[in-house]
Amino acid sequence: MTTTLTGTALPPSKHEFADIIHRLEAGGSMLPDTKENLMQIIGLYKAYAVPMDFYWRNLLYIAERVFLEPLPFFKYFLPTEYLELQNHYAGDNADLRIWRGTGSVHPELKAFMEKGETMKMPKIFHHLWHDRINMEFAEECMRAMLWHRGMGGQFDPYLDTDEYKANADKAIRAYFKFNPVMMGLYQLFPEMFLEQVRQMSYYSNLGLFWEVMAPVFFEMSDLYDEGKISTVPEAMNFLVNGIFAIAGRPIYHHVHIRGEVYELIPKSKGFTWLYEAAFPYVEAVFYRTSPFRGTKSYNAQAGQVPLEQKDFYFGILYADVFPVGTAGIPPTLLMQDMLHFLPTYLIEYYSQHCRGQDDMLIQLGISFQRSMYNVTSAVIQAGRSAFLYPLDDRNPEHLWANRHYFEGQLNRFSNPNYGMNKAARLEMIQNQEYR
Amino acid sequence: MTTIVDIAVNNAGFSTLVTAVTAANLVEALQSPGPFTVFAPNDAAFAKLPSGTITTLVQNIPQLARILTYHVVAGRYTKEDLIGVKSLTSLEGSRIDLNILNDDFEVNNATVIAPNIEADNGIIHVIDTVILMRPDWFLPIMDGNSI
Repeated sequence: MTTTLTGTALPPSKHEFADIIHRLEAGGSMLPDTKENLMQIIGLYKAYAVPMDFYWRNLLYIAERVFLEPLPFFKYFLPTEYLELQNHYAGDNADLRIWRGTGSVHPELKAFMEKGETMKMPKIFHHLWHDRINMEFAEECMRAMLWHRGMGGQFDPYLDTDEYKANADKAIRAYFKFNPVMMGLYQLFPEMFLEQVRQMSYYSNLGLFWEVMAPVFFEMSDLYDEGKISTVPEAMNFLVNGIFAIAGRPIYHHVHIRGEVYELIPKSKGFTWLYEAAFPYVEAVFYRTSPFRGTKSYNAQAGQVPLEQKDFYFGILYADVFPVGTAGIPPTLLMQDMLHFLPTYLIEYYSQHCRGQDDMLIQLGISFQRSMYNVTSAVIQAGRSAFLYPLDDRNPEHLWANRHYFEGQLNRFSNPNYGMNKAARLEMIQNQEYR
Repeated sequence: MTTIVDIAVNNAGFSTLVTAVTAANLVEALQSPGPFTVFAPNDAAFAKLPSGTITTLVQNIPQLARILTYHVVAGRYTKEDLIGVKSLTSLEGSRIDLNILNDDFEVNNATVIAPNIEADNGIIHVIDTVILMRPDWFLPIMDGNSI
């Protein structure tokens, strides 16, 4: 999709980020095309995909089996059935094989789950020592989608329909059939139970979303190792093609209760990966999420937390990685997970910059930010391809429409409200020395 | 009665559409009296979609049906009927944006390359691009407002 415009090219953009607009119009990414950027983003895609392989399996396990367990002490103890669950987009029996590798648990993940950072010991000790995959990060992403809601698509409004409430009621009654205490609580607080079910539906949504992303990232890493992805636009275009290929994947929520399947959200509703999972996820998690509780202070009077939730700007695209590298904050939990699966070429690279081994979490966090700007660029380009015009369209009006679109997208990073424009990292990632 | 389906089946260039409509169990609906206006992507339009897109959709009938019903509007509208009409609501429920200026007849980001093909149960306008529902964030972005 990388093309050079001739003849019908538009005059230069007057946008604050004109250079980036022109790069997007030429088929590029918000992230500059350098060998170093490519190495950073591919390394992080791979490092992210391994814990993501755990996240999607555990999210589905919680959504489908743990469900409304009031004291879910063991929800992170993923059963073998879910470790061996075949990814629909990897392995020999894939619906559409995106990754040439295995459909069951990634071997590096399996090895980490045995030993962690310490040694081989019973799972309960790994869990209590917190020497494990930080599933709390995945739950925080799910919570961001639940708290924001209204991020587009038909999945979210469906959660307020009578049909969904009837489905939920059936499942709640089945789940607590032999538990009079919980049934009594349900009679007293029906809305609370319904809201818990909605949360479970978002567990399912996110699990099904990431089931797709993991093989996409694994395949990108393999292609890079084979020399078949050699530029940032090529990496971005792989994502764009992946987004289209998987756009129609169904999004649903099925709960298993004592051997029976309860379809809270059936596949027949027609909900799709693109509209009901991917776009809402980008809106809720890449841009907004929520302020970090417990370790970072925000001055409400100074507007450090926006009045309107829709104006939140705490996602990766706005993250100041250094201060958020504090224990317990969700992004740091992810960074800790990714640290375990960095390719050797990145460990060597980080050892030679900044404080070497001592600040590897921060260095990789910033590489991760670059990689997510590239994913966002792919979403933007996929949107342009789906809803607007080819980059080499010969009709100037169509090219102007594309430009309005790119400028509108980048305006989100120029927004002066709350200092969003200062928080956005778009400008910083243009500089290779931002580490 | 020559239905919309008959026209698609008997004319070159619609084999992907016919396969998709059949897979989605929409043949009977498009043979019913209607009337319907169908914005029909030709084979070249489907070929523009990255590989794998159709594979995934054909494996998931409700999702495929949603994309296809987005191309259908209840009622019979010729190109001339639609001059000055800003949008129509598709059978899928989402809006289709229209733009007719002189000879140009555009439907979202697709161009109608052959309008007004009459059937007994409606009318077909052939388009060069598969159209997709525009998400809620699209209009504010095009207006330049941050959301």
